[in-house]
Amino acid sequence: MDRVIATVVGIIAAVGVSAIVFIGANKVFDLAPRRWSLFSSLIGGFSSLLLFSLLWGNRLIDQPVAATALALIVGAAAGYALSRTSDQSAHLVIGISGGVILGGLLGFFFTDAYLPAISPVTLVVSVAVGLAVGAALWASRGRKTSIIRPLLLWGSIGWLFGAWLIPTLGGGSRIEAVIAGAVLGAGIGAWVGTFPLPDHRMKQSIALGSRKYIFLIPALGFVLMTLVIPLIRTFWLGFLTGTPTQLTWTGMSNYVAIVTDPGIIDFSNWTDMFTSRLMWAGVLVLLIGFAVARISGKRLGQTVGLTGGSLSAIAAGVILVGFAVFAAVRGTISNNLWWIFAVTIFSTGMGLAIAVLSDRSKGESVAKSMIFMPMAISFVGASIIWRFMYIARPPQKTQTGVMNAVWIKLGQWSNSPTATAVIVAILILILVGILFIAWRGRKAHMPAITAGAVVVALPIVWLIYRFLGPGLGGFQVIEATGQTIGQPILFLQEAPFNNFWMMVVLIWIQTGFAMVILSAAIKAVPTELIEASRIDGASESQVFWRITIPQVSPTIGVVVTTLVVTVLKVFDIPKVMTNGNFGTQVLANEMWQRAFTELNFGLGSAIAIVLFLGVLPIMWLNIRRMQKERAAH
Amino acid sequence: MKRFRIVLLVLVAFALVAAACSSSSDETTTTATESTEATTTTAAPATTTTAGGGETTTTEAMASLEGTTVTVFGPESSDEEAGAMQDALNVFADANGMTITYTGARDFSDQINAQAAGGNPPDIAIFPQPGKLADFAREGFILPLPDDVTATTVENWPEAFVSFGNVDGVQYGVPNKADIKSLVWYDTQAFDANGYAIPQSLDELWALSDQMVANGQTPWCVGIESGPATGWPFTDWVEDMTLRLQGADYYDQWVAGEIKFSDPAMIDIWQTIIDLWNKPGYVYAAGGSIASTPFGDNGQPLVDGDCMMHRQASFYSAFLPEGTPTGPGGIDVFYFPAGPDGTKPVLGGGTLAAAFDDRPEVWAVMNYYASPEYSTERQKAQQARKGGQLSGYLSANKNMDTSVFLPLEQTMIDIMLNAEVLRFDGSDLMPAAVGAGTFWTEGTSAVNGDETVEEAVANIDASWPSS
Amino acid sequence: MTTTERQTATGPDPAALGGRVRGFLGAIPTWVLWFFVIIWTIPTLGLFVNSFRTRDAQRNFGWWLFWQDGAHGYGGLTLQNYRDVLGSEATGGLANGLLNSAAIAIVATIIPIAIAAFAAYAFAWIDFKGRDWLFIATVALLAVPSQVALIPLLQMYAGGAHLTIPLIEKTVTVFPDLDLAGTIPAVWLTHTGFALPFAIFLLHNYISGLPGDVFESARIDGADHFTIFWRLVVPLSVPVLAAFTIFQFLWTWNDYLIALTMIGGNREALPATVVVASLAGEFGLREHLLTAGAFVITVVPMAVFFSLQRFFVRGITAGSVKG
Repeated sequence: MDRVIATVVGIIAAVGVSAIVFIGANKVFDLAPRRWSLFSSLIGGFSSLLLFSLLWGNRLIDQPVAATALALIVGAAAGYALSRTSDQSAHLVIGISGGVILGGLLGFFFTDAYLPAISPVTLVVSVAVGLAVGAALWASRGRKTSIIRPLLLWGSIGWLFGAWLIPTLGGGSRIEAVIAGAVLGAGIGAWVGTFPLPDHRMKQSIALGSRKYIFLIPALGFVLMTLVIPLIRTFWLGFLTGTPTQLTWTGMSNYVAIVTDPGIIDFSNWTDMFTSRLMWAGVLVLLIGFAVARISGKRLGQTVGLTGGSLSAIAAGVILVGFAVFAAVRGTISNNLWWIFAVTIFSTGMGLAIAVLSDRSKGESVAKSMIFMPMAISFVGASIIWRFMYIARPPQKTQTGVMNAVWIKLGQWSNSPTATAVIVAILILILVGILFIAWRGRKAHMPAITAGAVVVALPIVWLIYRFLGPGLGGFQVIEATGQTIGQPILFLQEAPFNNFWMMVVLIWIQTGFAMVILSAAIKAVPTELIEASRIDGASESQVFWRITIPQVSPTIGVVVTTLVVTVLKVFDIPKVMTNGNFGTQVLANEMWQRAFTELNFGLGSAIAIVLFLGVLPIMWLNIRRMQKERAAH
Repeated sequence: MKRFRIVLLVLVAFALVAAACSSSSDETTTTATESTEATTTTAAPATTTTAGGGETTTTEAMASLEGTTVTVFGPESSDEEAGAMQDALNVFADANGMTITYTGARDFSDQINAQAAGGNPPDIAIFPQPGKLADFAREGFILPLPDDVTATTVENWPEAFVSFGNVDGVQYGVPNKADIKSLVWYDTQAFDANGYAIPQSLDELWALSDQMVANGQTPWCVGIESGPATGWPFTDWVEDMTLRLQGADYYDQWVAGEIKFSDPAMIDIWQTIIDLWNKPGYVYAAGGSIASTPFGDNGQPLVDGDCMMHRQASFYSAFLPEGTPTGPGGIDVFYFPAGPDGTKPVLGGGTLAAAFDDRPEVWAVMNYYASPEYSTERQKAQQARKGGQLSGYLSANKNMDTSVFLPLEQTMIDIMLNAEVLRFDGSDLMPAAVGAGTFWTEGTSAVNGDETVEEAVANIDASWPSS
Repeated sequence: MTTTERQTATGPDPAALGGRVRGFLGAIPTWVLWFFVIIWTIPTLGLFVNSFRTRDAQRNFGWWLFWQDGAHGYGGLTLQNYRDVLGSEATGGLANGLLNSAAIAIVATIIPIAIAAFAAYAFAWIDFKGRDWLFIATVALLAVPSQVALIPLLQMYAGGAHLTIPLIEKTVTVFPDLDLAGTIPAVWLTHTGFALPFAIFLLHNYISGLPGDVFESARIDGADHFTIFWRLVVPLSVPVLAAFTIFQFLWTWNDYLIALTMIGGNREALPATVVVASLAGEFGLREHLLTAGAFVITVVPMAVFFSLQRFFVRGITAGSVKG
């Protein structure tokens, strides 16, 4: 029970503190135009607090609580005093005295071990350098304003360097530190005090102009901490080699090692793609797609008409041809591209299809929940589930994996004359029905329906052929006895399609993701727009292709980009399922193996950079395109 | 507004620059590198003889451990194993008024890398691979044992096991668990029914295999699938055969990288194993092919009589179907027979504890690990959690109470304690890039027929780290 | 509403297809949808059935033959797997793990979504110099394989981040040593950072499509950015906020790697995913428990999904989104 309470308190504290910081910052800047004094003292106090906290974090002050509290009071008082007078010289006095007190405090509380040993020569030289920089900057800005302010600021910075940053620390006395701090504070304070007095307009623009920082700093800070800095470090590590504590410079050799790795790409069997059935089926479907496009184009008075039917056929053809290519060209890079190609197309396509279908079906929420369910399972969990699905057992045993059980059942059917007859009869009935629809569609001048029917009919014709001819499913005829036994597929071991069977896992998961996002976008398409086009006489498929798709296309961009990135980063599925064996290696798993299993940070980082640079162009194009579209609106 | 922005920027810049005044404090990461010198001389607590019972505990030791906490991180994670580890640690912790927590993670090997490199190591880690322990020792992540812990280790453990925790002449590791890998599991009833005798040499083993095939039986169950670690059962075969056909010296040189994988004798060994596995009728693969059969799935076929023998380590008992009788009259083991020269080498495995932090309580726990009490308590706890069946835990502690082990387990312990030559699993000794990388993957490719043996060994040689 | 009822007279006459064909075609979407649903559910269903079966039954017979388990001698359906999972005590125990998972997921969902919403609003509706480039740079960080950040972040949590300034050779502490390694806040910070590029990308895509004229008139009425954000943007963005909440909750709830890396050997703080994964044991001996474990873990995110699903309703933003 204590744990529960502690956890709840922790959650509330974390969320509460974050909310207070953000809302508080907004409220503080809201004060600027209305209650300038309060605003000014808050800013003064906060700046001192920030400064002393930083010193505290660096363990540079003794009695940090007291020092920080004092600084907070002094800063707030100075800010308040500044806001109460409109006399420029009073400002200067307040600024300087506030600065001197703060600087003196700093010197007073400074840790013994780091007290600076000031040398007058260094101090003079560095202040002179600071003044020179200030003057140069002032000159370069066209000498429009007074020279005093840049000199004050840069002179102080010079003092800071001369008093603290350049000398050796630890040798000085407390007095030196207090003096150095007071002078520094006086300089900065004078600089603050010489600000022109704020008028109402300026107060308002402070309130408004601060917002972009308040809104952006949290995000940018987190991103800097968790992604940018580690990325820079990774980039640096990519040029090093050795064990974690003994890294040495090695130049480009990690990258050379990646590129010259024989497993990275393998063209040795590339000609196979032209003899593969996938390729021919793909080309055939593509041709049908183009033919349909041409026919519907004629009707619409265009060269090609990209309707639902033609686009689906073309997409199917592209998928088949792509698979033929990836199955023939092997290697890690090819595997990665195949993953991107297959997972992106299937997940987006099916996610869109399900979003559209469920939008007009009964039981929408149940159906969507079922499709979404895999998202709620981790990658590792999903890999384990699919290993259950893919299990193969020796032919003489019953199969425990669904896929092989179905496959062998098919084999048994296609070897039994009765089962074959029944199945072929059913298939022929379905085929007749489809052809009837195609014929009616042709008569009704609805080529999309005809094309769709033909595309659906093709695999059925193929199924009939397989059942009547060579047979289908997992079986093997033992020549000696003439007996037929089941022949399971080793889904995860038989290259190259084992790659696809692993992609299925990710497709299974990510379709739910695509569906949710696309479904939200489809529901956000203004109803008036759809109604209007219906009134104009658009058919349902025209509404879909001409209204819905363009409206959700930015969202499709988001989904595709996210999927590409997700796919490239997925390492747990390959790791759990094959660990890169049997020709299934991908870059992310390779990176994990090098960096985490072998602690070879150099090579692992180089692979990470290759991955990053590989995705970057896709991301960039996508974002630019989306921004252009937005600009066009 | 612009001015305001400048004020803000300058204030922040001022703060940042002021913050720069810090001098170079060397507190970057809290790895244990600095304290290596001090450790060996640290007065280790006087708990050497206290573990378990606690009757002889001195008050100073009690005082020094009271209220302390030690964290242990290791690969054993299931309720039985991790639970038994915790139980055994609790015996010591309760006697000394301290807290010891054991955390097990399945991907310990990757995680301990991240934790050590990230500066957040546990106090003690249980390494399943001496090769990794050696890497960590050379990196300065783990600390050498103080003299008295070394003394306890040497006193209680056989020399071979002590040497697994020795890196370049300095003792870092304390054995925690011992496995024996040179075992063949078989069904005594099937052997009796067919009149098969336990083979005493490799030749007899091959002859027995031939005879089984002639009798219409499948001699071997083999499966090398093990998720991310697929291939390791193959490496165990290679190691066992190397010890028998080439001897321990050759084995040591091979493990150290002085003899290459492409050595003709090594290629021969690979080819022998793969030829045996690919001979029609010699292997039953419960998952369709050897490379797709999870190594743990071979218990059922052994019980069902689909195959007659299964070469696998001592911990395999846990993978047998629920309620399988073990020992004489049930599923039993025989020693994977000796090679032509008649010496009886044993391939072993196990885990080693090593410390990351130099605190008296940490060394007290390390000392407890080396003691016979730990092995005894661990076995008692694990056996209780297994309901009195084979526990899956084995120890080679010379002074532990062997009566807490079942007869079959005692047989295995005897094999380990009486071994003329005992070597640790070679893949666990090699650099991770090979031992947990290419040796597994290239071996799998060769077994699966995706590569020839020559191609596979050439790839392994190429992946051996140059330094 | 079926497909064909929406047809109007001016299009190609659907009646030409014939009534029965038309009816059939109209039902196709539903058929296809449920076909997908069944295919999608089979793996989970198998897992669900297996979670009630013994290890040896799972190994020897397919889950669709579960009703024969007793006859095969493997014992009938059993709750033993669930008992083992719920009663597990290694790795801190499941109850503790679920509590930690909740602590991690709730905070690591709310904070990034708030921060990302601020940033997305700023990128979409506050004009400043270099805005587009900053946005592209932020979103491009999506491409960073986040695994590479794990070890540097862990180093930072464990010992702070220290920067040595070149030339003057002084070391500056950029991030103090707060001893966060091994604690849940370390996981919060990491998740928040990793989630932001995607969250900003997704929310910006939506928020930038909200109608600018509404904000303009609000501004004329004297509303500041914070008021506009709070009173207009947040209510209008409920669907996308709900969508992101679901994803982020799922990811953080299901996360294994980040939590384990940041928490390491401090088992009091490890989440349920780590607890369940460890049940399987070193060599996957008790992998059959993962079936029940997966279901126990999945219950919470599914509940979150169901409760937030009602926000995806047509019309909540109708007429206000240009896409």
